[in-house]
Order: sequence, then C-alpha cells, then structure tokens
Amino acid sequence: MAGSSARAPLQPFLRAGSRDPLRGGEAAAKKPVLVFDGVQKVYHQPSGSDLHVLRGVDLAIERGEFVFVTGPSGAGKSTMLKLVYRAETVDDGRILFCGRDVARLTDDSIPFLRRNLGIVFQDFKVVPTWTVAENVAIALEVLGLSARLIRQRVAMAIERVGLAGRGGDRAGVLSGGEQQRVAIARAIVGEPALVLADEPTGNLDPALALDILGLFEEIHAQGTTVMFATHDRTLLDVRPRRILVLDEGRVTDVAAGLEHFGDDFVDEEDDASAPRAIVAPTRLRRVS
Amino acid sequence: MSGSIERAKRGLIAEWRLHALSVVSLAVAFVCLGAALLVVVNLHELKERWGRTGRASVYLRDDAPPAQVEAIVAALKVIPEVKSVRYLSPADARAVVFGQGGGDPTLRNIPQEAFPASIEIDVAPEVGEAEVQAIVGKLAALPAVEGVETYGTWTARLGSVLQGGTLAALALATIVFGAVLAVVGSTMRLALTRRRAEVEVLRLVGASSSFVKTPYVLEGTFQGAIGATAAVAVLALLFFLVKTRLDADLAGLLGLDPTFLPPLVVLGMIVTGAVLGAMGGALGLRRLTAV
Ligand SMILES: Nc1ncnc2c1ncn2[C@@H]1O[C@H](COP(=O)(O)OP(=O)(O)OP(=O)(O)O)[C@@H](O)[C@H]1O
Ligand SMILES: [Mg+2]
Repeated sequence: MAGSSARAPLQPFLRAGSRDPLRGGEAAAKKPVLVFDGVQKVYHQPSGSDLHVLRGVDLAIERGEFVFVTGPSGAGKSTMLKLVYRAETVDDGRILFCGRDVARLTDDSIPFLRRNLGIVFQDFKVVPTWTVAENVAIALEVLGLSARLIRQRVAMAIERVGLAGRGGDRAGVLSGGEQQRVAIARAIVGEPALVLADEPTGNLDPALALDILGLFEEIHAQGTTVMFATHDRTLLDVRPRRILVLDEGRVTDVAAGLEHFGDDFVDEEDDASAPRAIVAPTRLRRVS
Repeated sequence: MSGSIERAKRGLIAEWRLHALSVVSLAVAFVCLGAALLVVVNLHELKERWGRTGRASVYLRDDAPPAQVEAIVAALKVIPEVKSVRYLSPADARAVVFGQGGGDPTLRNIPQEAFPASIEIDVAPEVGEAEVQAIVGKLAALPAVEGVETYGTWTARLGSVLQGGTLAALALATIVFGAVLAVVGSTMRLALTRRRAEVEVLRLVGASSSFVKTPYVLEGTFQGAIGATAAVAVLALLFFLVKTRLDADLAGLLGLDPTFLPPLVVLGMIVTGAVLGAMGGALGLRRLTAV
C-alpha cells in the first residue's frame, strides 16, 4: 500500500493488544478487526422511558471487508458506530477492536483508539477556516509525526481522493462533495485499521453519492476495512456486498442482496424498477 | 509544541477581533493597576527622601521682636545636633517658592502675608527622631514661635498615606487578577464555542486532551502578556506627558521627582499577565471534558 514505508509509529492502543493490524503476521490477519459480542445499548431518555437500541448484537468484521450497515431511521446505525469509536459506551457485552475491548478503555486511551480508526460523517466535519491540507494533516499531527512526513502523506491522501492541487484551498470554499473528499482523505491518511462511515452520502445528491461510494470502494480495494452505514438503498444495490440489517435492536447479517426483506426498513421511496446487481440467493448468518 | 503554537497562531488570527477586544479589556485593567503602583512607588520614593533629610522649619509670629528671633538663631547655632541655621524673611520665603525669575504668574498673586518668616534648621542625618522632637518641643514653647514643622510629621503622614495607597493597590490588584481570569476565561469559552468544529475534529482524530487544550492556554498567555505590555506602554506615555507638563517649581518645592515603575515591577506585571492569562485559558477550558 502506498506510504506503508512511512507508517506512523505503533500507538500504545495497539502495542498493548495485538500487533500492528495492517502489517500483522498470519495470525493477526485472520483475527477479525471488529467483533460485537452480545452488545446491548440502552438510552435513558429524559421522559423516563428506556430505549433499547441494541438488544444483543453479535457480529464480526474481518480484515479487508466492506460491510454496509443499514436499517430504518432510528434503528441504531449511528449508535453502533458510536460504540466503536467510544462516543457511547455499551451497557452489556463486548466490542473488540483489534482484539481489545473498547468498552473497557479508560478515557485517556480513547484517543489511541481513534488514531486507529478513520471516521467519516454525513456532515463532513471539516474545519472551514483551515486549508484542505491542514484538515487532512491534523490526523497525523496528533501522532506527532515530522512535518516532512506529514506533508508527503497528506499530499498522497489528497491525491487519492481526487483533490490533487487543492491542498492550499480553504476547506470552507469547497463544494459538499469536495468537503466529503477532504473528510475521507483525513480518515485514510493515517492508514487506520478500520474506516467507519456514518451516512457519508446523506448530504449529497444521488450522482455525487455514487461517486463517494466509488471512492470508498477504491479505498477498500487498496486494502482498507470499511464499515459503511446508510439507508440509501441505491447504494446497497450497486454491488453485492455484505449487509448488516439493523432492526428492532438486532442485526441480521445478509451476505448480499435484500430481496427477501420487505422494503419497509428503508425510509426512502423504493424504486422497484431500479436495476439490482444482486443475483445470488441471500444467505442469513448469525455471527457470534 | 510547535504544532500547538501554530494552531494558537491560527486561532488568534481567525478570531482576531475577539482576542483584540480581550487584550484591550486586559490592558484597561492593567492600566488601573499600573497607575496605582505608580502612585505607591512615588509615595515611597518621597517618603524615603523626606525621611533622610533631617529638617525643621520654625515658623515665627509676625509680631516677634527681631531681638528674640536673633536670640533663638544664636541659641540654635550652639546645639551640636543642628548643622545649619538660616533665617528666612517673608520675602526670602516668597523668593524660594517663586525662584529668582518670578515663576508662575498665578502664584505671584499670593499675598506677602501667606509667607511667614521662619528659621530653617538642618539636623545632622545621624540625629534620631526623638532628639529632633525634643528640640522641636522646646522651640514650640517660645513666645516668638508660631509653630514648628518637621518633615518627621510629614514623613509619618506620608507613611500612612503610603500604607493606604499600598492597601488600595493590593485591593485593585485582586480585582484586576479576578478580571483577567474572567476576561480570558470567557474569551476562551467563546473562542471554544466558535471553534467547536475544530475541537470536534481534534477529538475525532484522536487528539489527546492536552493537544486540544494547549493552544488555548497559549492564546490566554499571549493575551495576558500583550494586555499587560500595552498597559505599561500606555502608562509610560501618560507618565511622561504628565511629567513634562508638571510645574517644575511646584515639583521642586515638594521635593517631588516622579519616577516611572522600576523595570522589575514592569516585568512582574507582564509575567503576571501571562500567568493569569494561562490560568484564565485553562479555566475557560474547564467544561471541555474528555470525549
Ligand atoms: N444520546 C441519546 N440519548 C437518547 N436517545 C438517543 C441518543 N442517541 C440516539 N438516541 C435514540 O436512539 C435511537 C437510535 O439512534 P441512531 O442515531 O443510532 O439511529 P440511526 O439508525 O442512525 O438513524 P438514522 O438513520 O436516522 O441516522 C433513536 O431513536 C434515537 O432517538
Ligand atoms: Mg444515524
């Protein structure tokens, strides 16, 4: 992979657990990047009632996989991702990231967890007053890499997302699609073990959404593990992919295709005549 | 660290209006404090100077017979503690005040009676306060003497003024310290809300808590130091303006030679500004908890 010779030094989060997941040996390569083991999440709402968002979720994501997470609005897709990057904590069960239990991390080690994740959101979350390059570089600055190394790797990441030559532009002047590319460059510049994307195309028009999905696929093709949450059915139908359907607090693992599911889990109007790339019969699998 | 300085610089430039406003508020607070210190420093100087000069003025009644006055002068001359004795007639006193040339025209209208004749005594510097008071007591009892004024009483009065001034300066310092903390703290809180996106991004990419906070503390330090420095500059300007306008004759009469804040006090003010700014910055970040 490009830039692997200039990898960041191992972060304590990984050092304490498994070896570097990106270069790890055979054993490490076989271990799932992410495991949900009986994960429960309850939100205590101000009204007093409890909202059981996740009621025992089990799943495993292997290194190099591209996984969609889908389900109706409010099903808990964002919550699932938040549990991984520790914006929320589980109420029961374990989440193993690179073999380490995320739920048990102290607040002080959360930054180390996040340095091994690339996170992309619907609303981009780029700093408008910073330049494109500064927005991307921040992910490496927190690692304390040398300025020269940061420049090199930032330039490379910017090129990978198709923004070559725009590094000096203020991020605020870019279009939505371009800002999302900046966010993606920031997510991948540190070559994280896992990229989490929470509705990354939600704010973009359909053509642009497909562009951005294509970018994620390219990144995946180069070896990055991607977990992509969306309820945009057109994206799910582009290519047969493993899909995790989240509903009523449980996950159904679909190897590819969604035909056997009713259309009720998607908010958006379903266009039955839209071309489907799915041929294989669906296979349901519970992973524990 | 260089990254933090870089980000602090970026923050200061991006929000320069906010930071400029904060610096101005801090400068105003420090001007008040500096002015109080200036008064204290000069009162102290004055007290020191007056304390060293053992002098007394024996004011004579207008109707005192010249023979009695001469007798007093002669008697004083033989006292070993007294170094010199000089008789000042009302005309002499007037001349002392106005100088030879005539001085300020408004002062020249002061009537002759305003200047009583006096005997000016210089006491040897090694003579203690008590001995001077003993001589003064005897002189004051004489019928030809209207009153005796020593600088000792002035020094004592000045001492209590100085004490009051010092207390006032201390109180002012406390207020200023509180103000600096509040101003920098709320500026940082405001900067923080304006830069929420930035903080969110930092959190997202795994910035440690100190990585997030250091630039804000640096910005606070910078604000405090700049505010104090600006205040010193303004004070210096005002000071020299006032000093050049101050009537030289009047100043000479009072033995007043205004001095600016000593370099150490100036340095102390700037360092205090920087330290308080850093503390204010840290205070403004209190609510910025982990995650
Ligand atoms: N901090 C919170 N406190 C209380 N309830 C919450 C909190 N966060 C989310 N919820 C609730 O949990 C449920 C799941 O939310 P979540 O954002 O995970 O859904 P989602 O699947 O991402 O939905 P969408 O497709 O609309 O983004 C929702 O009903 C939401 O209102
Ligand atoms: Mg969501």
